[in-house]
Amino acid sequence: MHRPSAQEFLLKLLETMEDLPQDFALRFEEVLKKDEADRSQAIRKLFEDAAGE
Amino acid sequence: MSERIQRLVMHAFRGVPDEMTVDFGKGESIAVYGDNGTGKSTVADALEWYFTGEIEFLSHEGRQHAVRHVGGDGDGATWVEVVTNGTLGGKVDFPDARDPQSFHDIRQETFLLRGRTLAGFINKTKTEKWKALVEILGLDAIERLREDLQRARNDLRKESKSAEEQLQAFRNALASGNAPVTRESVLGNLQQICEMLKVDPPESLDQAVDPFWLATAAGASAPSSESADRESLLAEIKALETPTADVKGLERWNALVTSNRARLLPRATLVREAKRLVDERSLDGRCPLCGQAVSEKELAKKIERALVDVLEASQELERVRDPIAEWADDLDASHDRRSALQNRGRARKLDLPALPDVPLEGLQNSLDALIPIDVKAITGYLAELRKWDQAAGKLAQKLASSSVNTRDTQLLMLAALCEQIKTWRLGEKKAARALQAFNLADRVFDAYQSKQKEDLAELLKRISRRVAQLYAALHPGENLSEAVSIEPWTAKGVELAVEFYGSRQRPPHGVLSESHLNSLAIALFLAMAEEFNQQLGFLVLDDVINSFDVEHRGRLAELLADEFSGWQIIVLTHDQQFYEHLSRRAPSWRRLELTSWSYESGPRTNKYEPSGILAAARERLDSGDVHGAAAKARRALEELLQEVCEALWAPLPFRRGQANDKREIGELFKGLRRSLKDQAKPFLESVEPLFKNLEADVGATLNVEVHGSRRRSGAGEVEAALKRIETFDQTWSCPECRTRVWHRGSPEAGRCKCGQTSYPPARTSSLAKH
Repeated sequence: MHRPSAQEFLLKLLETMEDLPQDFALRFEEVLKKDEADRSQAIRKLFEDAAGE
Repeated sequence: MSERIQRLVMHAFRGVPDEMTVDFGKGESIAVYGDNGTGKSTVADALEWYFTGEIEFLSHEGRQHAVRHVGGDGDGATWVEVVTNGTLGGKVDFPDARDPQSFHDIRQETFLLRGRTLAGFINKTKTEKWKALVEILGLDAIERLREDLQRARNDLRKESKSAEEQLQAFRNALASGNAPVTRESVLGNLQQICEMLKVDPPESLDQAVDPFWLATAAGASAPSSESADRESLLAEIKALETPTADVKGLERWNALVTSNRARLLPRATLVREAKRLVDERSLDGRCPLCGQAVSEKELAKKIERALVDVLEASQELERVRDPIAEWADDLDASHDRRSALQNRGRARKLDLPALPDVPLEGLQNSLDALIPIDVKAITGYLAELRKWDQAAGKLAQKLASSSVNTRDTQLLMLAALCEQIKTWRLGEKKAARALQAFNLADRVFDAYQSKQKEDLAELLKRISRRVAQLYAALHPGENLSEAVSIEPWTAKGVELAVEFYGSRQRPPHGVLSESHLNSLAIALFLAMAEEFNQQLGFLVLDDVINSFDVEHRGRLAELLADEFSGWQIIVLTHDQQFYEHLSRRAPSWRRLELTSWSYESGPRTNKYEPSGILAAARERLDSGDVHGAAAKARRALEELLQEVCEALWAPLPFRRGQANDKREIGELFKGLRRSLKDQAKPFLESVEPLFKNLEADVGATLNVEVHGSRRRSGAGEVEAALKRIETFDQTWSCPECRTRVWHRGSPEAGRCKCGQTSYPPARTSSLAKH
């Protein structure tokens, strides 16, 4: 069985979602490269920044 | 490629003091049989440690150091070497310095099932099962990202709520009467005020919040922005709304945590442990916790009931706790807001009264520790807060109306209104943005969770089918092929389900017997391995059939031999019937019997290996390890005597049980002499001087070393003893074909493979013609 990574799983999901801010998946990919310990804060900031656009 | 094990070597590891090798040929299946305490599980331990970096039950008990056998001779280094038919083999020394990341993928494969942890998965709660499955399926990284998304979403929801409350306060400050606050109504009011003050009204709210408009419209007498800010502050204070408490919700919590069922919650772990204890051990009619006499069945039932109650109480608790926790967040935000107003007031020489202490810590403690909430303290705080709001409001009212009816004051009020409008519009933007961020996070989180659940459900469906087939194979005729499944349970749980006489039972504990539950665990283990293993092509089953009757032991043997012939199966068992079932059903499997275990020698097999041990003794002596050489030499002599006594049917005293390989050397010599006296008296006379020398070696050179006497034997003495043992070994072998003299024939009259050497010997000198 192929076990997808978290990144693979999320990006595949984002591809299926409509009306997302521009380059949202790309920016999310960058966030996922960060250390897991700070990830939820980085994700929160990503949503805040995307909401401001 | 799935890899198989070809050889396992353990050194000073767990029950092995020195070195033990298990040969799996080219990667064949093997059944290892031995009584309790003969060292079978050391094989499972070594494979678990090598492939996962730990032995789980030792890690749980904080005894990782017990990997090492401290009493081993030789250099004492602990290591495990695995040879596979691929690239996964190697040698690992203790302490294990490998990076856990290096075997992360292998850790997620399913290869080891132990009797002691058999029911572990089945007994987990739904959430624990979810976590365990997610780990087994290698989806833990996906689960961790889901948790991060959830945290981010929750933070944004809190922020959005707080921004909305602040916005509501700004709206209240601008409200006139009960009319809703809209851009049109605010602009209309502002224009009316401007007309009353003979000031050119703004055309839009954008113009109204522009400082140049007010300065231009009102001329030089326009008030400073500081005064306007002060007026805005007073308006915000006047608009404060005191929060209210859901007293009924708080009382519901208190009733729940003081109920008999909730008292079980802190005992959840204890109850689960008790269940495990009852499942794994025979209780001999006594409670394992308090020692009192008790019916085993009755105790098991009570524990089962307690476990069900714990699960239900836990769900109810979550339903009541969540709204209170959310309300506590609101209370915190409302306190922060007043605190911010107080600070702003202080900076403008407006001394607001001291804020009452918010009882958040007590509230949080109650939620965490599952104890009643002090409702009086909460309502008392809210009453105090109401008083504070009223006092602050009056003060603001007084200051705002202290100098009315002058043109300056009117302009000041106009400026304050413009400032309020500005704050309101900023608040509107902030709240809109916070809501947008929350909505986006919520949408992504929901989609992520749904997709995760959907994927898992699909996986579960696949596994369920195979689990049901395997389970039905273990229980044919019970019409169970469609009855078993693993089902998703709410957002973060899974549960095993079984169809029992038309009703779906989740979990199946209530309707399945212990052996049926164990079958379910074995079926789950095998199905998981089949479905998900990518690198490991072997499965280790360590004492898994304890609760099975004879028929079901046979069925498992059939299942493993027939349906899993493509796998390398390593079965460790103390059950002779199961071992025999496997031997009959799978004749191509290797077999290994462990006969005993001792602290000094470790596990012993039913095969004699004196030559190997003698070679090891010689190696030690050559490397200067006299102590190690003496210990090995003694072991070789012991093994040799046992082999000869067994081959010649030497008469030895009766022993209950299977303790024949634990006999003393003196006892073995005695039996051998009696046998030779009856069958080969002249030969006995020729070897008697060698026997006497060997007995002297045991007393003076080999035994003292082993038992740690102060007298240390010299290398020369051990060398001489070794030579005598080697002579004794050669005495029983043919110098031509190297086989033993009892290779063919009977204990009374045997011969070697080539037929040149016989027992009893034709001539009186020696068997081996030298």
